[in-house]
This record gives sequence, structure tokens and C-alpha cells, in this order.
Amino acid sequence: MLEQLLIFTRGGLILWTCNELGNALKGSPIDTLIRSCLLEERSGAASYNYDVPGASYTLKWTFHNELGLVFVAVYQRILHLLYVEDLLAMVKREFSQVYDPKRTVYNDFDETFRQLKVEALARAEDLKKSNPVVRPVGGNNGKKQGQGNNKSGLEGGNKTKSEGGLKDDGSADGNNNKGDDNKGRKLENGYSNGNFVVTKDSNVDSNVNGRVNASSGNGAFDVNKLQKLRSKGSKKTDIVPKASKADPNKKATKKNRVWDDTPVEKKLDFTDNAGEDGDRKIDFVAPVQGESMMDKEEIISSESEDEEEEDDVGKKNKPSAKNKGWFSSMFQSIAGKANLEKSDLEPALKALKDRLMTKNVAEEIAEKLCESVAASLEGKKLASFTRISSTAHAAMEEALVRILTPKRSIDILRDVHASKEQRKPYVVVFVGVNGVGKSTNLAKVAYWLLQHNVSVMMAACDTFRSGAVEQLRTHARRLQIPIFEKGYEKDPAVVAKEAIQEATRNGSDVVLVDTAGRMQDNEPLMRALSKLIYLNNPDLVLFVGEALVGNDAVDQLSKFNQKLGDLSPSSNPRLIDGILLTKFDTIDDKVGAALSMVYISGSPVMFVGCGQSYTDLKKLNVKSIVKTLLK
Amino acid sequence: MDPIEQFEEWKEQASHLWRVAMDHLRHVPPTQLYAAAAIVVFTTVLLLSRLLKRAKANTIVLTGLSGSGKSVLFYQLRDGSTHQGTVTSMEPNEGTFVLHGETTKKGKIKAVHIVDVPGHSRLRPKLDEYLPQAAGVVFVVDALDFLPNCRAASEYLYDLLTKGSVVKKKVPLLILCNKTDKVTAHTKEFIRRQMEKEIDKLRTSRSAISEADITNEFTLGVPGEPFTFTQCSNKVTTAEASGLTGEISQLEEFIREHVKP
Repeated sequence: MLEQLLIFTRGGLILWTCNELGNALKGSPIDTLIRSCLLEERSGAASYNYDVPGASYTLKWTFHNELGLVFVAVYQRILHLLYVEDLLAMVKREFSQVYDPKRTVYNDFDETFRQLKVEALARAEDLKKSNPVVRPVGGNNGKKQGQGNNKSGLEGGNKTKSEGGLKDDGSADGNNNKGDDNKGRKLENGYSNGNFVVTKDSNVDSNVNGRVNASSGNGAFDVNKLQKLRSKGSKKTDIVPKASKADPNKKATKKNRVWDDTPVEKKLDFTDNAGEDGDRKIDFVAPVQGESMMDKEEIISSESEDEEEEDDVGKKNKPSAKNKGWFSSMFQSIAGKANLEKSDLEPALKALKDRLMTKNVAEEIAEKLCESVAASLEGKKLASFTRISSTAHAAMEEALVRILTPKRSIDILRDVHASKEQRKPYVVVFVGVNGVGKSTNLAKVAYWLLQHNVSVMMAACDTFRSGAVEQLRTHARRLQIPIFEKGYEKDPAVVAKEAIQEATRNGSDVVLVDTAGRMQDNEPLMRALSKLIYLNNPDLVLFVGEALVGNDAVDQLSKFNQKLGDLSPSSNPRLIDGILLTKFDTIDDKVGAALSMVYISGSPVMFVGCGQSYTDLKKLNVKSIVKTLLK
Repeated sequence: MDPIEQFEEWKEQASHLWRVAMDHLRHVPPTQLYAAAAIVVFTTVLLLSRLLKRAKANTIVLTGLSGSGKSVLFYQLRDGSTHQGTVTSMEPNEGTFVLHGETTKKGKIKAVHIVDVPGHSRLRPKLDEYLPQAAGVVFVVDALDFLPNCRAASEYLYDLLTKGSVVKKKVPLLILCNKTDKVTAHTKEFIRRQMEKEIDKLRTSRSAISEADITNEFTLGVPGEPFTFTQCSNKVTTAEASGLTGEISQLEEFIREHVKP
């Protein structure tokens, strides 16, 4: 049963809701959908699930980009309503005809909607009957009920196609003249009433199942599977054109990234210092100096990059222009194209996707982004003197900036001060796979914090790899900060807990917890990590990932997040709050990992490690990343 | 070749070209010349008028956290009604209109350009597009659900108050406490005090980062003193409103004060 159907503008004004459905929704599924799905460039997805205590909804949506309208349907998750997509498409078509930007009340749309719904139900029914793929499904409750009360409604559904009297109330004034092209709306008087009762029944889905069962005698129909099948089919056709060869122009320009040149300072080799006297001799010899790069301004030579970009775009566009003929494309660019269609966008988006992938963005994510950009452009009017590729390019740039802009504040110092007021240490846990540089970057973060007069303590909770504690101890000695360690073979969760207690005692502001590196598939280790996080409830869980990673970034982060969620004993588990991107100095212009990670986890990149010395820690410069990605 | 010689040569060439051009011009019928001149004048006028229009600041920008009620206020100002309610905005609402409360007034009333910028943090970069033309900024705060959002709101306000376009032009700012029709809503004095405290804390932590951050080029207040809004270079005032019940007279006053009829 459909719970609610809304039509609203992209500006947020609700134009029409279905009054007759009028069920009060629990929580605010619409706002959540917009905030966590549509604004996160996930609008290419098919549906969104929303859970609150007491209800779980599935939401489906469609855009009308030319008019700037959004159509959202909400229904209970347990019911797999097949007709919703169809209904949304029909509502979109009908509503766009009556829409007027100045009007804000559309009470007369109620009647149109009623008819559309009936029609959609009937069509879904037909589809089900004509489709030969019927799979048996166990546990089809409500079967009997469905067979019992639905006969009349379904018969009515079949009658829709037969010619009947045109039922059209006066209120739907705009529809009288359109009756011809919408033959589906010709409904019998009695039927439309009769079926109406049925739709009010809360059990449409089971009805449907029951019917199919009766006619085929083969078992009920799994709507879900059908949908999956269909989406699979459509995906396949999508992929075929994309598999064609890559654009040859793409590798035309690549430029070395110029990072701030920092004074190469200090030797990294302290073995001889600590060597003979063992650990007792503390070397104050080389107290580290220099400002952390977190505090330095970054100067980007934006102009040259801009120029190159334009050049690139120009080159790219030439082949497509040639295909269409010089004159028509010229005319199109001056006059502006009426409405963009998916087929128009495809070449431009494919080029964009390829470009993103050469920048090491995971394929899955590039694909999703392009779908989302396509969804936001489809149906839009192309402005005069613009080309499709540049429009797509601009839309993608906007989308990328939106994704990479942090959703929450990444002002760690502010958070540190806040917890200082509450007289408890601010705990940061560094997690990640093996060898990405957790300990090294932990030291860099410690150094940066020290520079801002924050007292830091390290906790060596890597009790697994040999030498890990010693490595951290060396860093601690260099930075002259206390370290909490309990040797090896201890439960890291307990070590962390004791470290935090110790920090509370001696008044440290921040505790940096180093954990053992672990592969995302290693369940025992992931369980241990989950326990550590659950037991200590840190203020920040920082995922350390290396920028070298390509497609694996998706796997790492999603599995980490998933495992932390699944294996946590609490019902409201802590997930990854932020990302520390390491080895950023090694990747030239292949900065795609930043995008992949942020997109997958939804959490911001808080630090970027870009070198071997303590000062080599920076903030992510969103603008330069976007520029590099689209270069 | 020394530069003077070079220059002479260029001059020669230029005068030659000029002569050729004049010769050519004489062959062209005068009607065509007039038409060409008319086109040139017309385009320059068009461009100039566009530029001038841009430069004039008569925009009121509504901003604040997501869910504080900006869109509702926007529609209250425009139509005097909230229609069927609003959901989270994905795009700015923008319009040039005569305020609904003033449509009954006699005489010529100038329309106001009002922009409602979405509060979702991903959409905040949009704000920079409108701020240069702003005659006034309204920062909407949810007075009902204030305390949980206090920090986020203060951070946003801090960013806003340190934006170059706001500081340089001394754009007046109104902190509008919305939803005051509810009994449990906080008073504007309370909200003002809390935000001042919160910004005071932010000052210390942000000044540490700001060297790295290009966006925050200005610092707020006087160092060594607790922060108050009176220390800002621009005028910061507070007011109360209720978007749902349509109690927005203080907001209208603010708009009229800064966009003269």
C-alpha cells in the first residue's frame, strides 16, 4: 500500500500531497531521503530505505529537471509494490502539464491522481500475467485472503482496455481534451469505483500474489526478482556502448603536481642514538622543528590549470561535433537545444567517466556519479552558446565539490577544546589495513596537535605486529610526549581503556590510539577492533587509507564500515568518522582515491599525509582535487 | 635592433594599416556603416546595463542550518502563506517581489530580491554566489531546537561573519530566532548569549587553523576580550519570528531598513 506521494520543487516547497492517502509518516523519511541520498549524488540509485522504530519505508523518486520538480513515493518496505515506478512516471507526465511556476495549490490534481493510480495498478497486473517467468516462493502468507477478496478488482483491471464510458469529473478540467492520447484513462464508471475499494484495502501485494497463483498454479510471483531481472537487463544494455574503446585524446595533458617544498630536515634514522644505552637514553638532541603543513597556505597555480582544462575540453568535443555536421551543431549551440535526452548525454558522460577512471577513481563510483549527473541533467534545457560536454562537465564539477565538501565540521581543535572543558581526553583511534602508514601519520597528527599547545598521549594498541610498540616509542621520544604501552599479546581494547584512564589522571587532552593493521576480511581482527571501539567509545574513528589504492578503496572502506557495524555488540554502532589519506605525494595526479573513499563512507578527508617528515600533514584542498580530477 | 627603431617600424606599419582601412571604409556604403556603429553601441549599452545591475546590492540572503525554517519564511514573505509545508531544499529559492505584507500599501513599492540558500552543509558553497550582492543577511536559528544545534549554528555563523564579502562591505546581519510561537522556544537574548560564548571558543581554535584555511581571512572581535556581536565591523542584530504562524514583522522591518523602498 502506498503510504504517501509528494510532489515538491527542488527549492523545497510541497506542491501536492495525496490527501486521500494521508497517512502520517513516522519520522521524516522525505527529509532524510533528500539529505542523505539526493544531495549525496546517489540519486542514480533506484530506491532508498528508511528505518525508524516502528516503521520501515522504501522511497522511490523521479525528477523533472526542466521544471525543477521532484516526485517521491513512500511505501512500506514489506510490500514490494511493482506499480510505483510506473505510477511516478505517469504522475510526472500529467503533473508537468498542469504545472505553472506561479501556482502553488493543485487541489484538482487529486482526481487525476486517483485515475492514474487505478491505471497503474491495472497495468502492473497485466504485466504480471503476461510475464511467463514465475518462480515459486515459500511462505506466501495472505494467499487465501488475496484470492478471496480481489476477484472483482482484478477483473476491473482487465476491463480498462475495453472501451468504456469516459469517466472524467469536471474538476480535472485540463484532462478532457487530452482524453484521446491517454486511452488508458478511459475507465468504466462502475469499475473505477469498484477498484477503489480494493486499493484502499491494505493488501494489494498479497492480492496480486494470490491471483497469479490461481491462474498459473505454479506458485506465487516474486516481484523482487522480477525487478532485479529487469534492472539487470537494462544494465547490460547500458554497458555495451560504454565498452567501446577509450577516447584517444584523454592522455593529452598531465602535469606534475607541485607540492609545497618543505625543508628536508632531520634524519629519520635514530638507531645509533638509542642504540647502545637502550631505551633509557632519551635523545633531546633533535627536538623537531618546523611548522606542520596543516598550518601553511597552499598556493595553487589555478590559471594555468584552467587553461589546460579548457583546451582539453575543446579537443574532446571536436570528434562529436564532426559526427553531426558542422552547421547543425553550430546552430544547436547558438539556439540552445530543446531538452537534453539521455542519448545526448551519453557520449559526454562516458568521456567524463573515463577521465575519472584514469584519475584512479573506482569504476563503480565513477559509474554511479555519472548516473547521478545524468539524472540531474536529463530533461534540462541546454542554454545557448553551451555544448553538452561543457554542461555535463559543469554539472560533474558541482557534484564533485558537493561530495568532497565536508558534511560535518572537521575542526578537530574545536572538538578537543570542547572535551577539555568536560575534563575528559579526546580519543582518536587510527584504523586501516596493513602498511598504509597508521603509526607514521599518528605521529604527524601528534606533532600538529603539539604545535597548538595540546597535550598529547599515544597509546600503543598494536599488540600484534612485532616492533610496532618500539616504532611508536621512537616517535614518542622524538616528539617528547608520553606513551602508554603494555607490551605485546595483550587485548588492545583493554590497553586502550587503561590508556584513556591514564590520560584522564595525568590530564592529557588527546589520546591517539594506534591499532594493528588488518585486512578488511579478517573477521577475528575486525571483531577485536569493533570491541575496542565499542569499549572505549572514541571521539573520532579515523580510517587511514593510502592514496595509491584504486578499486580496492571501495572494498576496504565499505567492509570496514560494515564489519564495524555488524560485529559491534551495541545496537547503535560507531562507524568511521573521518579519513586520513596517506602517501599523497606519490600519486601525481591520480587523486581518485580521495573521491572514492569520501563517496563510499560519506565522511570527510580530515588530513592528508604527503611526505616523510613530521610536518608533512595537510588539509584536503577540495578545489584543487576537483580540478585535478576533471583535468 | 634597438627598441626605438622597432617602435618606429611598428608605427609605420600601423599608419599603413590605418590608411588601408580608411580606404576600404570609403568604399562601403554609409548605411552599412551606420548599422555597424548602431550594433556596436547597442551591445556595449546592453553589457554595461547588465554590469550595473549586477553591482547594485538589493538582495536579502536567508541562511541558516537545515531545518531552521528558511523556506517557510521565504514563502511567508512572498505569498503570506506556507502552502502545504516544505521539505529540505535542494536548490536556492530566489525571487524578486513586493513583500506580501506590503501589497495592500498604497504608492509605489520597490520589489525586493530575496534568496533562500539551502542550509545543508554540502550546499553551502552556493552562498558565496549571493553574498557579494547582499544588502543584508538573515541568519535563521531554530529557537525551539537550539541547544543541540548551537555549535553547528555558531560555526556556520562564524564562517559567515568572517567571509570577505561580508566584512569588507559591512553587510548588516540579523539573527532571526524562528519558531517562537512554541512555548518551549528560547528567547533571543539567551540565543545571542549562547552564540557569543560559542563563537568566543571558536575564535581560539579557528585562529589556529585559519592560517591554513584560505576562506577565513578575517578574525572576529578584539583579542583578549570575550566576544560580543557589537565587536563585529558590521551591524549584528537579533529578532524573533514565527514562520508557521506568519509572525514576521521584525523580519520585514529589517528588510525595509536595508532595501529602501
